[in-house]
Amino acid sequence: MTKTVLVVDDSASVRMQVSRALASAGFEVLEAVDGIDALEKLTGGATVALVVCDINMPRMNGVELIESLAQRPAPRPPILMLTTEGHPALIQRAKASGARGWMMKPLKPELLVAAARKLTAA
Amino acid sequence: MHHSNRRIVLIDPDPETRQIYAARLRSQDFAVDEAKDAVSGAEMALAAPPAAVVCDLWMPGVSGLQLCRLLKAEPATADVPVILRAEHEDPSSRFWATRAGASSLVSKDRMGDLVRALGIATQRPASDEAFFFQMGGGADVRDRIAQHLDRALFDSVIAAEVRALASACSFDRLFDSLSQLLAQLVTYRWMALMTTKSGDLAIHAHRRCADGAEAEVRAALSVPDQTSVLRILDADAVEGPPSGRTVVLDVLLGESPVGRLAFSVPSGQSQVDEIASIAARELGGPIRLAILMEESQRLATTDGLTNLLNRRAFGEILDRELSRCDRCSTPASLLLLDLDHFKVINDSHGHAAGDAVLAAVGKLLRSEARPYDVVARWGGEEFVIALPGATAPNAQSAAERIRNAIAQLVVRDGTGEPIPLTASIGVAERQPHEPLDVTVDRADRAMYCAKVGGRNRVCLAESAGRAEDADAPDDLASAA
Repeated sequence: MTKTVLVVDDSASVRMQVSRALASAGFEVLEAVDGIDALEKLTGGATVALVVCDINMPRMNGVELIESLAQRPAPRPPILMLTTEGHPALIQRAKASGARGWMMKPLKPELLVAAARKLTAA
Repeated sequence: MHHSNRRIVLIDPDPETRQIYAARLRSQDFAVDEAKDAVSGAEMALAAPPAAVVCDLWMPGVSGLQLCRLLKAEPATADVPVILRAEHEDPSSRFWATRAGASSLVSKDRMGDLVRALGIATQRPASDEAFFFQMGGGADVRDRIAQHLDRALFDSVIAAEVRALASACSFDRLFDSLSQLLAQLVTYRWMALMTTKSGDLAIHAHRRCADGAEAEVRAALSVPDQTSVLRILDADAVEGPPSGRTVVLDVLLGESPVGRLAFSVPSGQSQVDEIASIAARELGGPIRLAILMEESQRLATTDGLTNLLNRRAFGEILDRELSRCDRCSTPASLLLLDLDHFKVINDSHGHAAGDAVLAAVGKLLRSEARPYDVVARWGGEEFVIALPGATAPNAQSAAERIRNAIAQLVVRDGTGEPIPLTASIGVAERQPHEPLDVTVDRADRAMYCAKVGGRNRVCLAESAGRAEDADAPDDLASAA
């Protein structure tokens, strides 16, 4: 069964890059342009095996998104942060809200795929 | 198959030693990932946090101490124990290893110590929710170490600035300096500091938003409306309606709360959290010291019974005040007041009643005096009042008013019986450039004159030094 990854990033080119890497590794990809969009897609009933999430986005940023996801009842999809940010305090907040990993841009497609496989392994 | 919490990252630049150690540890049922230097070891540890990291204290390139600081600063590996190995366990190596956050320091030739340290370090339960961290393409652990170092420097510079506020001698001055410091570093609508025990409250806000800011601060810190507040208003705080978010932090000294620090920041200000937490972390000492300085200053200058200035503080204030009078050629007068038959009050009504009389007279004198008059307890049942700007006739009528108020003052002893009370007052107008003790001496002789003249009266000192009788009060017959 193919697994779906929700990619949340306000940059179309990053979404395309990430989607291409994950699709070529056999994942189904769903895209959202910010935190609000992502919440709507998750609430809309999409079954998602992993969320790959940026930090700096309009309307609702990535940390706010995962903090609001952490309020929801289990099961929750694992979350991987993919961002240019690298401040320890921000990383700590993401970790505390249940994110499972933090990868800094620029993106290394093979690392992303390896992480996605690890986090979606049953 | 090894259990996940027995995975260890072993860093040793020497391939031979590394293999020997790795083999020994594998035979102890540890899963060992080998790294030839701190950089690749750090990458391994961050990408998949192990149960423990073992590395040399001193290594070429990135040292064990630098690696240890990095791993402790990264949320992904902050909880991973780091075991450092040194040629010798000298106290200085131990000091630096501890400061860097290492969980233990073992001697290189003691394999048993290492296995024991690992045994303790790997006893923690394995977490299913491990969190990893990977740098982007091109970035290196060395860049990350440099960033952490930069941040540590940033932190220690701000921390040192906040600690330096300890030289402020009062809470008000401390807050003023704090607002000047923080306004340079953080953009805020208002900043507030309250102290837990003394209940001081201070606010820095834009001068056009003062009232609104104060209401917001009182709500954010739950401070009742009647608490007095120090307001620093200028254009260093930004102007604007309530927006963004409020950050409130406890200020501690050791474990005990000292105060609370709060900011209202426009949205999009992320650096405030870091700076605010450094400030809150370091402010406990300076606040405590400022309050103690204020308290000791108050104790040193105030008479405990009457809450008036004591004699020494009066002298210090008057020296400044009188030289100002000399510069501006303004007059000044002095009243010396002595309660009549105070010994009789003490003897017949008790010392508690005597103390109540002194406290009541102190309160009365403060309320009768103008704001710029200086009132002090001279000693015993004697009080002194300096009236800047007053000529002899002005001072004489002030003295007459005070004499009358004291004669009408009702103070009751423990049994509810009213204590008869009058005072004799000597008045002296200061001659230009006359030393304080000379003026006091003339007022003292005028007061003596009032005593001799029958008490409950005011006498004016002559400039030559000879006192003359002032207008006798109408109720002289009823005087004590």
